[in-house]
Amino acid sequence: MLGFEFNPITKKRIQRFKEIRRGYYSLIGLVILIGLSIFAELFVSNRALMVKYDGKITFPTYGRFRPGTAYGMDYPYEANYRELKAKFAAEKDSKNWVMMPLVPYGPEEESYLDDSYPPYPPSVSSKHFLGTDKIARDVLARLVYGFRIAIFFALMLMVVTYLLAIVIGCLMGYFGGYVDLIGQRVVEIWSVIPFLYVVIIIAAIIQPGFWTLLLIMAAFSWMGMTYYMRTGTYKEKARDYTAAARVLGAGTPRIIFRHILPNTLSTLVTFIPFTVAAGITGLTALDFLGFGLPSGTPSWGDLLKSGNENIREAPWIIFSTVFAMVFVLTLVTFVGEAIREAFDPKKFTTYR
Amino acid sequence: MKKYLSIFPLILALVLFQGCGGDKTTDGDSDTGETDNSKFPAQDVTAEMEAYYKEKSDFFKFKTIEDLPADLEWTDNSQLPEVGSPKAKKGGTTNSRLQDYPDTLRIVGPNSNGSFRNYLLDDVTVNLAHRHPETLEFFPGLAQEWAIDKENKTVYVKIDPKATWSDGKPVTTDDFFFMFFFFQSKYIQAPWYNNWYGTQYTGITKFDDHTLAISVPEAKPDMDSRVLELGPKPAHFYKELGDDFPQRYQWRFQPTTAAYVVKDSDVKKGRTIALSRLENWWAKDKKHWRYRFNPDRIEFKVIRDTAKAFEEFKAGNLDGFGLDPDYWYNKLPNDHPIVKDGYVKKVTFYNDRPRPTYALWINQSKHLLSNKDIRIGINYATNWERVIEKYFRNDYTRMKTSSDGFASFSHPTLTARPFDIKKAGEHFAKAGFDKRDRDGILVNEAGERLSFTLSTGYESLKDMLPILKQEAKKAGLELKMEVLDGTSGFKKTLEKNHEIAFSAFGTFVEMYPRYWESWHGDNAYDVDENGKKTVKTQTNNFTQTSLPELDELIIKYRKSEDADEMRQLAYKMEEIIHDEAAYVPGFVQPFYRVGLWRWMQYPDDFNVKISSGPGEWFVGWIDEDMKKETLEARKAGKTFPTSIEVYDQYKID
Repeated sequence: MLGFEFNPITKKRIQRFKEIRRGYYSLIGLVILIGLSIFAELFVSNRALMVKYDGKITFPTYGRFRPGTAYGMDYPYEANYRELKAKFAAEKDSKNWVMMPLVPYGPEEESYLDDSYPPYPPSVSSKHFLGTDKIARDVLARLVYGFRIAIFFALMLMVVTYLLAIVIGCLMGYFGGYVDLIGQRVVEIWSVIPFLYVVIIIAAIIQPGFWTLLLIMAAFSWMGMTYYMRTGTYKEKARDYTAAARVLGAGTPRIIFRHILPNTLSTLVTFIPFTVAAGITGLTALDFLGFGLPSGTPSWGDLLKSGNENIREAPWIIFSTVFAMVFVLTLVTFVGEAIREAFDPKKFTTYR
Repeated sequence: MKKYLSIFPLILALVLFQGCGGDKTTDGDSDTGETDNSKFPAQDVTAEMEAYYKEKSDFFKFKTIEDLPADLEWTDNSQLPEVGSPKAKKGGTTNSRLQDYPDTLRIVGPNSNGSFRNYLLDDVTVNLAHRHPETLEFFPGLAQEWAIDKENKTVYVKIDPKATWSDGKPVTTDDFFFMFFFFQSKYIQAPWYNNWYGTQYTGITKFDDHTLAISVPEAKPDMDSRVLELGPKPAHFYKELGDDFPQRYQWRFQPTTAAYVVKDSDVKKGRTIALSRLENWWAKDKKHWRYRFNPDRIEFKVIRDTAKAFEEFKAGNLDGFGLDPDYWYNKLPNDHPIVKDGYVKKVTFYNDRPRPTYALWINQSKHLLSNKDIRIGINYATNWERVIEKYFRNDYTRMKTSSDGFASFSHPTLTARPFDIKKAGEHFAKAGFDKRDRDGILVNEAGERLSFTLSTGYESLKDMLPILKQEAKKAGLELKMEVLDGTSGFKKTLEKNHEIAFSAFGTFVEMYPRYWESWHGDNAYDVDENGKKTVKTQTNNFTQTSLPELDELIIKYRKSEDADEMRQLAYKMEEIIHDEAAYVPGFVQPFYRVGLWRWMQYPDDFNVKISSGPGEWFVGWIDEDMKKETLEARKAGKTFPTSIEVYDQYKID
């Protein structure tokens, strides 16, 4: 953590966290989910995992696209591996084969059938395990990639807001006086700007992308955390060890980063899971309202919207999405509760 | 008179029934439409108007009734069949939906071109005469009779002495004089009107209070329509015309010749608005008018969300609902309880009229898009066929040119370029894009990707865009989708900030298509005295087409007086537009479909040939007794026979 060693108290806290089973396993589950989502292409993709063609084995999942011509098809664009698989399977005594991922559909890919119109209901035979939306996009694929985008968005949002909050909060607390006075007023004013309206206005003019959205959301969510950092810094600054460090000739940066920060951070840690949950729901809400990521990007908000619009004829969209959201947010909340408990200064309360 | 930028009504044809606004209300200062004129200083434009008439005495001519030529052949076309059905019942209240609240009650000037203007002006007003919706000949409105003097390019008109404004004042020749003054005035802040009324007419003559003549510069084949489709402007109402016109008249309802008025008390900004039928409307017994405009009140409620509007419709709070394929097949299938039990009937009506121009408009002033090969490539890389097949379930057809549906004026053989990856690739290669990037998108020597933003304001149609995107990718073209709300999407295109726009213009029933608005170079660039070109915004030239050769043809076409010559010119221009490839023709919807509660009654053949929606011609009526019966039956669980109606008497091919 930021290059310094855990002190004994922190070690104890981690130990205590591990003892809270529900939170601990939730964390493991969450980490596994995130880990899997990083390699989502291996499970959910319209690109094949492995293709054997003309005696050569290729791995199309990552890297450059491979044109259909590379596999004996007659088109220059990306090979349709599902068709390729069917074609190879139909060939007699063929040595060629295609190994598709578990879910052979991409998140933005529409896969209309010839004899019927979407939304297609969940079906194992078509490998649309959670069905499709009304333009024939696979719901599971969109859920998985939507999760990846949402969780990384939330994590990055957390990092950016905490960086801002830590810097500004520490400055206010450490320097005090006018810096504090003015800083507090700025925070107060900034806090009352209605974030949603700003996003709506911006979205009406430009279509925000991942990074613009991240910046906008970060710009409006750092304020709350500065209060904790400010008070924490005030408190630590007045302690003897800080005075001792100063007497020894340590400069301001060293005092802040080496002495004060490690001792104030523990407060922030307890907020992390809830910030992540807020990040996920925030992005989902914006997508749901149509002010989020560009149209077509897999996102939970978009799925919720489409599920809501088609609740009667395609209930599987809303069910899968709500289930996925509840599941992930529950995990995050369990982790959050456990951390809060583990970090609770009143160690022997009846909180359990 | 002429609907210029009206794009929003197009959504109506697809999704909504009787009304969807395209504009957002920006003015939330008061809740009612009461006009507070005290905040504007008193002013009177009368003196200026009279001076203007004097100054332009060759345009505004005053004569006496004795000067009226005696040998004129007067017609009144009273033999044309009635519009609507004698079975129509007057009375009742219908409920409709607006997607957005109108920006203004003005019918000209800034932001006045939203779709609600149809209810203030376009669909309801009585002009001198109107095209008959079946025969396309003119039937009388304000004009009692008229005479055409082709040689002198003049139309003589006798105004029906019964005609009055909704405030009781008679409609006279002076209101037509004022119309020219009004539309030529800078005060209204509407350059298109200034141009049209300044250049398309050469003079107006007053013979007496009810007799006038209007001249046009060319004896176009449809010169009668230029004059007969004019609607007067009430001089007494616009007396306060001045620089503050847009603000001063923002929420003042102009007295109308139509059957419906908007009362101040019915304007609840942002929420509801209503049309009320005039009990003593001057044309209520007039042939061609008497069976139309039947409901006493038409109430509009703002419901932004289409899904919510649909719920309101199913609850019976809206009388009708436009059904796009998704609604027609999925959300209101024939076995839906309210359809099966006969409470709601589903109607398909094939119409025959000029088609809205749903297409991709490529902005040639943007980098790379000025390259013709890239544009041709984009044409070949756009798979509208698949959109029609998969998204519209083959109910729609491919648009061929920029002016389909104009009978002999539409190009007879030209068709849009089909989806063809090979040809697209050839043209992209010619433009230097011959290698594919990691993800299959073409790149050129300089490392630029063949990637463009496709913007649209049609949220309701956004789901078909992924098909275009996915198919374009096959050809190595990346389309980044940008779905904006209606108003900002349209503004973006008007400001020419788009690269490729998916958009459309409404079309009017006219004899021949217009080209100047969308294709003339004057609407693409402003050229200053040093010859420096700057992009001209706020025009309909969405493709930024500026070709001297085409400009010349457009002007020739505008001046031409011979239908055959115009036809040939139209074909030629259409071919040039095709060759320029900045316009990727989209789809044509040859019908409209609606769900209607059974109390909504229509004539036996449902509607008129050129209607673009069930409400447009106001031939329907509401049967209040049947409404009561239906609602009671529904409560009691009593059912009626299912009713799925198709009217294909005007189906082409």
